[in-house]
Amino acid sequence: MEKSLFRFIWKFSARQQLIILFVTVLSYPISYILLELPKLIVNDAVQGDGFPRVILGFEFDQISYLFLLCISFLGLVIASNGIKLGINVYKGRLGERMLRRLRFELFQRVLRFRLPHFRKVSSGEIIPMITAEVEDVGGFIGEAIALPAYQGGLLAVQLGFIFMQDPLLGLAAISSYPIQGYIIPKLQRKVVLLSRERVKNVRVISDKVGEAIGAVPEIHANDASAWHSADVAERLYANFKIRYEIYNRKYFIKFLNNFMNQLTPFFFYMIGGYLVIEGSLSIGALLAVIAAYKDLAGPWKELLDYYQLVADVNVKYQTVVENFDPADIYPVERLTGDERVSLDGDVVLNGVSFSGGVAGQEVFAANLVVRKATTVAVVGADGSGRTELLQLAAGLISPSSGRVEIAGHDLERLTESTLGREIAYVGASVHVWTGSIRDNLYYGLRHRPLSEVQRSGKDADERKRALREAKETRNPTFDIRAVWEDLEAAGAGSKAELDELALQLLTVVGLDADIYRLGLQSRFDPSMDDRFAERILAVRGKLADRIAADPKLAGLVEMWDAAAFNQSATLAENLFFAVPTDPSITMDQMPALPEVRAFLSRTGLNAELQGIGLKIAETMVELFANISGDSGLLGTYSFITQDDLPEFDRIIRQARSTSQKAGLSEADRERLIALAFKLIPARHRLGVLDDAMRGRLIEARQEFRKQVVDGNPAFIAVDPKAYLPPLPIEDNLLFGRARVDRRDARQRIDAVIRTVVEEEGLREPIIFTGFGYHVGVSGSKLSAHQRRKLALVRALLKNASVTILDDVAAGTGDDDVALRRRLMILLDGRTVLFGTAHLSVAQEFQHGVEMDQGRIIRVDGSDPAAG
Amino acid sequence: MSLEVEVDALRKVPLFRGIDETKLRLLAFISDRMQYQTGEHLCEQGEEGDTAFIILKGEADVRVHTRDGDRTVATVREHSIVGEIAILCDVPRTATLVARTDMDVLTVTKDDFLKLLKEFPDMSLEVMRTLAQRLERTTRDLAAARSGGAAA
Repeated sequence: MEKSLFRFIWKFSARQQLIILFVTVLSYPISYILLELPKLIVNDAVQGDGFPRVILGFEFDQISYLFLLCISFLGLVIASNGIKLGINVYKGRLGERMLRRLRFELFQRVLRFRLPHFRKVSSGEIIPMITAEVEDVGGFIGEAIALPAYQGGLLAVQLGFIFMQDPLLGLAAISSYPIQGYIIPKLQRKVVLLSRERVKNVRVISDKVGEAIGAVPEIHANDASAWHSADVAERLYANFKIRYEIYNRKYFIKFLNNFMNQLTPFFFYMIGGYLVIEGSLSIGALLAVIAAYKDLAGPWKELLDYYQLVADVNVKYQTVVENFDPADIYPVERLTGDERVSLDGDVVLNGVSFSGGVAGQEVFAANLVVRKATTVAVVGADGSGRTELLQLAAGLISPSSGRVEIAGHDLERLTESTLGREIAYVGASVHVWTGSIRDNLYYGLRHRPLSEVQRSGKDADERKRALREAKETRNPTFDIRAVWEDLEAAGAGSKAELDELALQLLTVVGLDADIYRLGLQSRFDPSMDDRFAERILAVRGKLADRIAADPKLAGLVEMWDAAAFNQSATLAENLFFAVPTDPSITMDQMPALPEVRAFLSRTGLNAELQGIGLKIAETMVELFANISGDSGLLGTYSFITQDDLPEFDRIIRQARSTSQKAGLSEADRERLIALAFKLIPARHRLGVLDDAMRGRLIEARQEFRKQVVDGNPAFIAVDPKAYLPPLPIEDNLLFGRARVDRRDARQRIDAVIRTVVEEEGLREPIIFTGFGYHVGVSGSKLSAHQRRKLALVRALLKNASVTILDDVAAGTGDDDVALRRRLMILLDGRTVLFGTAHLSVAQEFQHGVEMDQGRIIRVDGSDPAAG
Repeated sequence: MSLEVEVDALRKVPLFRGIDETKLRLLAFISDRMQYQTGEHLCEQGEEGDTAFIILKGEADVRVHTRDGDRTVATVREHSIVGEIAILCDVPRTATLVARTDMDVLTVTKDDFLKLLKEFPDMSLEVMRTLAQRLERTTRDLAAARSGGAAA
């Protein structure tokens, strides 16, 4: 990378810099005339004589001459500000483009780092470098050349003028320059060093904060928050000290500059005055020189500010860039090359050594041949060099000496387009990306965009612009919206086939049941696939029939019935009998919606619900009045918490009181209503709902449907014939509630649902819906076990020639043994390297290689050196 | 069916006879009300048990595994409490309970029952008294059985 900021700027924006300079210079005469014109208007047009004037063959009397001058003034104002606007936007755009280029280059360099390099750098340090630290560079780039050139030019002109008036005074004018030129860089240098220190300190803070976030359970588990607080506080103090030091020096430089600049006029008045009195200088010349010197101060100050800015930005640039230039960085072609050669052949390690710089991460002179289409177990404890050997074979790390070849190709010379597609590697620690399960499954097939996205009109123009910008800033022109999944590589003809294939592999690794469960909990958008929704509804119908036919099952479920009260559901569900279209609105939040609120008060249900709420509160307060807070009884059973109890006690007293003053406030009423809405009659058995009230609620349900739900896109009525997109699939399958007063009703009914789903062939589509499940940040919603299996499927889908698994399903437990057996059947005919810590596992493979302390100690049971 | 009905039923359970109504209401509230159909099992012999059953309506057979297959050794009726041994000490269920008719049952979990005892010491006393009476009776029965056996 360009070591200095100016080299970077000049290399990538020389032409633009010259344009900026040219336009800046061009604007000078305009600004000059703009300043002169008012004088002309006052002196010549208003106070002048000799009219009419003739200009370009036209005659002007005084009034029209005044108009002419004023209109030209207006024209120049517009022109001057227009140029300013244009040049500012141009500079801003240039700065942003250069910044984009720089940031992308930095990111690409991160991708080019060799794996061992990541032991030295942390994301906490790298992220601020790419994002915040280079930010200032972008703002500076537009000014980088034009400002010093322009202001320097102005300064030179003004100085020339002074020297022409009198060389001695000229010397006086620049007398402070050598001193400033000597002292200021010295002082500035210290500031630069401090800035550097500050940047590094902030990086450490960022790193520490990042680490604390990543390891927050450790901090709490060890009561180490005080230690971390002290650590960060210490760093913040260091930051303060550096900053304070910088301020001191920076403003001292400012002070010095200002002082020097004011010192010069002192000499002018003294020397100039002396010369005038002596008669060797005219008073007019002295005044002109003083005036010129005033003009001199502007550019000089600008130049000094510029100097300080350069020093600051340059140090920032260098402090960033030096981190992205490790000597052993991979060539960029390794990332960008798109050539794929087949690696279907023997894996040969020839005298391969590797040193990770730490004991236990080394490989010494390893010689190994893995014949094509054979399976080899690499056995070794942690720290035996097993992981490194397998990573060498996968081309993830490079040997310090020796060669790794597959099918006769030296892995060092191959690009990722071969390594990443021909070799499937899964290591002990896998990463699952934030996104859907589908994104993660097909991650290994997303090498390059494979289709042109058809765009028209505005969209196409927008894409053209994006492409132009990408070329301008040397960013890649790949289209993120294109199809990236390489179906062919996976051996699938269509996306549907790819899903099928993924499902087969998920079944092999035993993740299908988990994803089925996730699918049941997922929401499905029927506008994507009408038929699937219909099939779910068909299952719903069948399930209802089956439940109706079997009295045992019928006792487990309370079906939704528009004309009946469902005792196993909350009062809110019973009353509204509809769900909000927006799935993020829960039942609890529903009464707060304006439509619902209006409906409740219009129909007078408010008062009745309030009555129910009050009765519930009374019962709760009575039941739990004598219970101590720490018994835990209240938390589990009541819908009121211990802390709320006194509050409800007060509400009840107020409600009972006959005095008019102590009425219930709006908030109290809402609390009571919220309490009523949470009631599940079959569970809570408080006896607050009588048949009349139930009848009233059923009536209100019909009203709610008529008045609020029908024709309102914000709600969907609960209807046996309609799919309810805001609810998860499982709630759509069973059109009712498992009864809360039957033992294990939920589990027993789930089993029935599973059977019907399988009978109807709906299991697969539900699993495919589960593919859309969002796995959370870095897969945090999945278990570690699930994440590993997902990564395994991802690798298997690639159909790679060589499969390298390290510490995946490598245990001696029954599950792992069974999984390995299924995997080996699947990978039959492929080259497989399998890393494990258990010697007994090796027997399942055609060959076994044992490693210890970085050396291969036995191949197929005998010492390789002996054989 | 509401709490009041359950409290009425609970009052008829000998174990709770001396306990005042508000506490019974609380007990009823924190218990789960379950329905069982004829033939359904309430619990299985040998299983870990963590709930006691208070029968509000209906009756259940108490069955024990023997060498000759399952044998019904007793029948529990309305207003009796079964399975309370399991929630006082950690032993597996000593018998299987099978609903003989359709039943209404209140089930109390071990945790809640213990919390309740802790909260109301006079209730523990009542429980202790009942258990002691039962032990006394069992001892007497055993002595009678032994002397009877010796006589034979």
